[in-house]
Order: sequence, then C-alpha cells, then structure tokens
Amino acid sequence: MKKKFLLMVLFVGIVTAAVLSSRVARAQGAPRRIEVTAKRFAFEPGEITLKKGQPVVLVLKSADVAHGLRFRELNLNVKVAKGGTAELSFTPDKTGDFVGHCSVFCGSGHGGMTLTLHVVD
Amino acid sequence: MRPFIITIAAIALAGPAGCKADPPGKLETKTITYAKHHIFIGNKKQKNPLPDTTQTWADGKEAFSHYCVACHGMDGQNTGVPFVEHMSPPIPSLASNDVQRYTDGQLKWILDNGIRPSGMPGSKGTLDDDELWSIIVFLRHLPLAGSRGVPDMYTH
Repeated sequence: MKKKFLLMVLFVGIVTAAVLSSRVARAQGAPRRIEVTAKRFAFEPGEITLKKGQPVVLVLKSADVAHGLRFRELNLNVKVAKGGTAELSFTPDKTGDFVGHCSVFCGSGHGGMTLTLHVVD
Repeated sequence: MRPFIITIAAIALAGPAGCKADPPGKLETKTITYAKHHIFIGNKKQKNPLPDTTQTWADGKEAFSHYCVACHGMDGQNTGVPFVEHMSPPIPSLASNDVQRYTDGQLKWILDNGIRPSGMPGSKGTLDDDELWSIIVFLRHLPLAGSRGVPDMYTH
C-alpha cells in the first residue's frame, strides 16, 4: 500500500513538473509583442529598444488612414489598412539603430513619419 | 502729371498681359535652361545611395505615382495630362535630354526643393529620402511614352 502511494506521488510529481516546465519554456520562447499606433504623421512610440536574437511582434494599429512601416535595411515591410491592425514578426539579428518609414503615402507629412529601432546585445 | 498717369495706365494694362501663361521665347528658354543646369541647381556631385535594381525601380514607380503623375503622367512624359499645353514654362518630358542631363544629385536637389517659378514643388518631408532616391532610379529608366495609360484622376 505504502509502495503504491509512493509510486502515485512520484507519478503526479513527474506529470506536474513536465506541465510546468513546458509552460515555462513556452513563456521564454514567446515573442515580445509591442503595440505601435500609426497616425498622420507619427508612430507612437517613435522609438523602441529590442534585444538582438529576441523574437518580437510589432502590432501596428492605424488610428486614421492606411499606413505602412518599412525597414529597408532589415528587409521588413508591413502595411495596415485604414483603422486596421497588422502584425510584423521578426527576430533582430544585428545590433544598431534602424529607421523605419511609413511605406504607404498618407499625406503632406508622410516623408517624416519614422520609427527608430535600437537593437542591443 | 500726364506722363505719370500714362505710366500707371501702361503698367496696369501690361500687368495682366505679362502674367499670361504664354509659351516662353527661344532666348528665354535657352537662358533659363543654361542657368538651371550650371548656376541654380546644385548638388551635382551627390551619388544615389540606392542600388539601381528592379526593386528600387519598382519602389520609385510607386512613389512617383503618389502625386508626380498629376503633372508628369504615369510615364513621366506627360501622357494624359490635360493642361500640359497650357503651362508656362511648359512641363518637360522627364525623358528629354534637358532633364536627363541633370546628375542624380541635381535631380535630388530638384525633388527636395522644387523649381521656382515653374510650378514644380519641393517634396522634402512629403516623401522620405529613400522614396526620392528611388524616384530618380525610376526616372533613369522611364517606361515607353503612353505605355502606362492616363492617370486615374483624369479618367472620370
């Protein structure tokens, strides 16, 4: 009886440990989600600091017309419809400052609509 | 007193005539063209930082289509622009020798600052630097005249 009880405890312990460790692993690998609002003629926030090698999802929300966000150096581009939401998933693989521009013409201040990524080690 | 009144009347009459959008004479055109190429439009030596690739050309074509097409047409050669015959100075074909003789740096200067009093606006801030440089790549490889049709805004 005692042996059975110990086996049961051991079994429950192993199952619990397995479930917990998988959750921890998932949490560590989950990409960081950052909301960015695009509104004529600025992104909010206008600067973001990221860690090299850490997966990230930029959730781009339009507060007015159609916009886009393009980082030419990183070969990344996403477009968002008027009032809509779009996601840009990537993992920065080099450090430095990267300036993204609105990639959908949105009016007279379009050329100055930028978002800077600071990628650090 | 009389000469003074006559002078004022002459100015009043000549004023409107002087503002008419008549085509410029040959001498005026030659002088202004020379002055633009050699005196007024700077930045001769700056190189285009973007590579001359199909992707850059496509980016330039898209940026050009935002509002340049209103005066220059989809092909940069004024196709379908209804007022092209009535502007003074006339809107040049961007495929013309007078335009293509500008260096890339000079074209960037023109896109940034515009040309007074031609009606060409400056686009610095309205388009970003990459878009402006990509337009220059597009200008260097313009499509055949008429091949891209008439700008949407003139079709309805």
